[in-house]
Amino acid sequence: MISSYLKLAWKVLLRRKFFTFVSLFGIAFTLVVLTLVTALADSVLAPYPPETKHDRTVVISFASLHGEHWRWNGSAGYRLLDQYARDLPNVERMAVASVQMPVYTYLNGQRVRSYLKRTDAAFWQILDFRFLEGGPYTDADVRDHRFVAVINASTRERFFGGAPALGRTFEADGQRFTVVGVVPDVSFLRLVPFSDIWVPHTTAKSDAYTREYVGNFIGLLLLEDPARLALTRDEFWSRLRTAKLDVPGFDRVEATPETPLDAVGRLFVGNGTGAGTGFGRRLQIVLAVAALLFMLLPAVNLINLNTSRIMERASEIGVRKAFGAPSTTLVGQFIVENLVLTLVGAAAGFVVAAWLLALVNARGVIPYAELRMNLRIFGWGVLLAVAFGLLSGVYPAWRMSRLHPVQALKGAAR
Amino acid sequence: MIRHVFRLIWNRKRTNGLMMAEIFVSFLVVFAVAALGVYTADNWRRPIGFSYDRIWVVSVDMQQTSDDTWNMAQQETVRQLMLALREFPEIEASAGTQIAPYQLGSSNSGYQWRGRHIEYGVAEVTDGFKDLLGLEIVEGRWFSSEDDGQAYDPVVINRDMRVDLFGTGPAIGENIASEQSPDGSAAVRPRRVVGVVAAYREDGELDGMRNYAIFRKSLGVPVQAEGVRDFARSDRPPRNLLIRVRPGTTAGFEERLIKRLQAAAPDWSFEVQTLAAMRRSYHRFAFVPLAAVGLVAAFLMLMVALGLLGVLWQNVTQRTREIGLRRAKGAARVHVQRQILAEIGAMTSLAVLAGLIVAVQFPLLDIIYFVEPHVYAISLAIAAAAIYGVALACAWYPSRLAMRVEPAEALRYE
Repeated sequence: MISSYLKLAWKVLLRRKFFTFVSLFGIAFTLVVLTLVTALADSVLAPYPPETKHDRTVVISFASLHGEHWRWNGSAGYRLLDQYARDLPNVERMAVASVQMPVYTYLNGQRVRSYLKRTDAAFWQILDFRFLEGGPYTDADVRDHRFVAVINASTRERFFGGAPALGRTFEADGQRFTVVGVVPDVSFLRLVPFSDIWVPHTTAKSDAYTREYVGNFIGLLLLEDPARLALTRDEFWSRLRTAKLDVPGFDRVEATPETPLDAVGRLFVGNGTGAGTGFGRRLQIVLAVAALLFMLLPAVNLINLNTSRIMERASEIGVRKAFGAPSTTLVGQFIVENLVLTLVGAAAGFVVAAWLLALVNARGVIPYAELRMNLRIFGWGVLLAVAFGLLSGVYPAWRMSRLHPVQALKGAAR
Repeated sequence: MIRHVFRLIWNRKRTNGLMMAEIFVSFLVVFAVAALGVYTADNWRRPIGFSYDRIWVVSVDMQQTSDDTWNMAQQETVRQLMLALREFPEIEASAGTQIAPYQLGSSNSGYQWRGRHIEYGVAEVTDGFKDLLGLEIVEGRWFSSEDDGQAYDPVVINRDMRVDLFGTGPAIGENIASEQSPDGSAAVRPRRVVGVVAAYREDGELDGMRNYAIFRKSLGVPVQAEGVRDFARSDRPPRNLLIRVRPGTTAGFEERLIKRLQAAAPDWSFEVQTLAAMRRSYHRFAFVPLAAVGLVAAFLMLMVALGLLGVLWQNVTQRTREIGLRRAKGAARVHVQRQILAEIGAMTSLAVLAGLIVAVQFPLLDIIYFVEPHVYAISLAIAAAAIYGVALACAWYPSRLAMRVEPAEALRYE
C-alpha cells in the first residue's frame, strides 16, 4: 500500500516540475534558516567541552544595585561572589571568572589583540579543559599573585609560532606572564569559558575589583543535585536580603544563581535587575513564537500550491471516488505525497545548511566558533519538516476528500 | 466592471482567500523590512557634525566598573595623562570625553518638559572637544573659562534639540531642565544653554537619537565636594581621551604612546583605536544583522512570487472553458487579459488594505517612539508598491496564457 503511494507520489512530483521546484525551494529555504538559527543557539548552550558538567552548573552572572534614586546593573562583582556565594548548600564547588577583556601585546611593532580572563583555580576544576601542554594554575598560584597564564592554541601560534610554549613568557597589557598550560581554542560564543589567555585574578593591576558588588565577574557553581537548585538560590537570596552594603546611595543588591539558559534568557528578555527567575523559559517561548511567525508565510505558500495542485487532479480523484475509495484513503495518500515532498525538501535544505555552516566556520565570522550539524539538530529539523508537511498538507487533503465524485469527474472543482 | 471583478473573486473565495492571506502576510514582512531600511537610510543622510579623520581614541580602563564611584585621585591621574599627551610632537590636539564616538554604549536622559517627553543623548566632554572633532557652533559659544565657578552647568545642544525645545524662540541663556531632580526631592544646578552646534551625533551615521546635549567636564576645577553626585557629573574623570595625530603618523607611535600613559598610571589599562576603525566596526556590527534580515526577506519574497505564479497559472488553466466562453461571445483578447489582471489587482488591494490597517497602528499608537511618522509613510508606500509589483508581475505570464486561449479549443477542453 505504502509503496504504491510512494510510487504515485514520485510520479506526481515529476509530472509538474515547476510546482515541485517551488515547493522544494520554499521548504528547503525555511529549513535552512531554522537550522542555522538552531546551530547558533546550540553553539551557545549545548554541553560541549569544556562545559561538560553543564547540566549541574549554575551561574551568577548578572547583578543589580538598588538605591532610593539609582539603579545600577551589570555583571556580578567579585565581592558579591566572594562574600555571599561561598559555601552555599547543595554546592560542590564554586569558581569565579571575570568577563574577558581585550588586551594588547606589541610584537615587533605589530599590535596583537587577545582576550584575557581572570579566574581562580577552581575554574579549571569545574570546566573540563583538555590540556595540550602543561596544566592549570593552582590555588597557591592564585594566593601568591603569581604571574602565570594558560593560553589557547591560537595564542601559542601568534606569540611563539606554534612551538612548545611551556615556561616561556609573554607580555599582555603591560604585564609579563609565564605560560603554564596550553588548551585548544574555545568558541567565542561560550560566555563562561571563552578567552585567549587565562590568568589568576590576583594579578589584576589594582585590587579595586575586590570591593565591587556589581563588576565584571561571573560566579560558577557546581551543584551536587541540580534538582535542588531552589535550595541554593533561596539561601543566596536570604543572605543578600540581610547584606549590609557600604556603597553610598545604594542599600540593596540583587543577583540569582541560575542555569546557563536562564542567564542567557535574562540577557534578552530579563527584567533589568538581578532578581526573578524563569527567563530561559520565557526566551524559549519568544523564540518559538518567532519561529512560528517565520514559518507562517512559507506554510501559507505551500498550502496554496498544494491546493492548486490537488484540484488539478480533480478528475483522478473523481474516478477513485466513483470506484469506492473512502475519503480517509485519499487523505492518507495525499499526506504521504506531501511528506515525500517535504522530506526531499528537507534533505536539500540540510545539504545547503551544512554547506553554509562550513562556510561560516571557514571564514572565521565568529572567533573560534565551530557551528556543528549534530544529530540533535538534524532530528529537530526532520521533526520541523514533518510538522511543516502535515501543516501544509492537511487542509488541501481535507478539501479534496470532500469533493463530490460527480463534480470531481467533471473537473469543476472550486 | 469593478463589482463584476469582486463577484468573480467571491465565487472562488476559498482559493482566493488563501492567496489574499499570503499577500497580506507578505505585505507586513516587506513593510517591516522597508521600515528598517528607510529608518537606516533616513539616519544615514543626516549630518553627523564631526570629522573622524586622523582621530585616535585612547580608552582608559580605571580598573573599576562603575562610573559613579570615582574619586579625586582618579581625576588627578587623568589630568597627568592629558599633560603627558602634550609631550608628543605627533599629537596636534587632545580632549577627554565620557563616551567616544562610535563606541558601543550610550548615555541618554529623558524628562517631562513643558508638558511633553523630551529624550536626548548626553555627551560629557572637556573644552578641547569642539576643535578636535571640528564641531560647528551656529549660535552662542562653546565652553570656556567664563563657565568656571558659575552657579549653572553650561550646556551646548545640537540644532535638532534647539528646534525641538525652543522652536524659533531664543535658546541661549535658557535652561533645558527644571531645577528639580527627577523625583523632585532636591534642587539641582540649572543646566543653561550657552551654545548650539550645527550637529552632533555620537554614534555617527546610524545614530537614531535626534537630540544631543553636550555637558562640560571641568577637569581640575571642582564644582562640588567629593562624594556628592550631581546630575551633570561634571567632575567625573573622562573614560576616553581623543587625540588628533599629525598626518603621516604611523601605528608604531601607538606603542610609545601606551608606554608613556602606562608609566603615568601603572594601575590602569589603555586601549588605542583609530576613530576610522571604530566607525568601520560599528557599521559592520550594525549592518550584518540588517543584511541577514534583508536576505531572508528577499528569499521569502522570491518564494512567494514563485508560489503566486504557480497558483495563478494553475487557475488560468482551470478556467480555460470559462475564458473560452467569453472569447466565443466576442470578448477581445485584451479584455481577457485585463480581467485576469483586474482580479489579481483587486485581491492585492484587499490584502494591502488589511495590511495597512495593521501597519498604520505603529505610527498611530507611537509604538516605537524614536521612529518618525514619515519613515512609516515611506515604508508603507514602498511595501505597497513592491507587493503590487510582485503580484502583477506574477499575473502577467498567466494573463498572457489566458489571452492565447482559442474559443473553439477551449469549449472542447476537459
